[in-house]
Amino acid sequence: MITLERYPREITLRDGARLTLRPMVREDADRLWDFFRRIPPEDKMYFREDVGRKEVVERWAENLEYNSVLPVLALEGDCVVGDATLHRNRSGWKQRVGTIRIQIAPVFRHRGLGTAMIREMRHLGEKAALHYLLVEAIEKQQPAIRAFEKMGFERVGLYRNFVNDQEGRFHNLVVLLYSMGDSGQATLSFPP
Amino acid sequence: MPLSRMTCTDCGADLAFDSHRAKKGPGGKELCPYVGRLYPDLRAAHDLIYFGKWRRMDATTVDIRRAYHQIERHLKAIGEVLATKDLPAAMRDFGKAVEAFQAGDPKGDSPDALRYMDHALSYAHTVIDDLLHEEGNPPHDPMEFSEWYDAVEVPFKEEW
Repeated sequence: MITLERYPREITLRDGARLTLRPMVREDADRLWDFFRRIPPEDKMYFREDVGRKEVVERWAENLEYNSVLPVLALEGDCVVGDATLHRNRSGWKQRVGTIRIQIAPVFRHRGLGTAMIREMRHLGEKAALHYLLVEAIEKQQPAIRAFEKMGFERVGLYRNFVNDQEGRFHNLVVLLYSMGDSGQATLSFPP
Repeated sequence: MPLSRMTCTDCGADLAFDSHRAKKGPGGKELCPYVGRLYPDLRAAHDLIYFGKWRRMDATTVDIRRAYHQIERHLKAIGEVLATKDLPAAMRDFGKAVEAFQAGDPKGDSPDALRYMDHALSYAHTVIDDLLHEEGNPPHDPMEFSEWYDAVEVPFKEEW
């Protein structure tokens, strides 16, 4: 069980934009649908589900279960500009592994929101007592991959021609992992 | 043009600046650019090292040793702040900074010392940004303060 007391929380981006971060609620279906409509078609091609269909987003909103999928939205006023989700298995061999997915509105890219969302996911992963956070990205998504690496994620795998987009073209898939096995406590002592 | 110098009594920032361009307070005295920001002492300590002579092509052994000790003091100050917080991810970034710091002792003439020192500073910057994020603040951008330092160039950037 993750405590969500920290939400809603305000963040300020480097350029002064003020956003609110909070978990998605059922009433956000229209806002999220509007957000996905503003995602360029070339980015939508990499989505696991067809978010071009409103019923997909409505189904997510109707079936919110934070212990399995925790979506955190970034809002500017009433408008969704970022969506980060932490996916967890409640039992089984991957119950200590969380998977992260992040999507940022085009006008908010390269402004630090992606990194802020990664920080948020790392925090939630810690609070959920996970051991690893896993991210899958298409190799072409280099800015996102660099942002994850800067936040301590390591490339652990590259699968060539592994996934196909919605037009049937194959792409390389990069797997990144963030280990939360220890918090670095053992390395904190300085030499005398 | 010769630069004026000032050490801020609030955050300890050691500044070199063009007094004609510096923002001034009511008494006509220059205002420290870190005042009013969150974690001003950590930001100032980071930037002093970031814009330090050790990163120049003509850095001397003394410049590098001085920077190494500055990084040590900087990490200790960050550690003291972190000890009062419950931020495991930031603590992990801090652990990486300390690890890089320990690997980068220039005393041993290691060819990688500068690289490790740069890593240590970069991870320290990440921890400062972790702390700022927790308070909802934007990340620290040293370039915003560059004109307050006698920094002609930054020969290598933080990403390696």
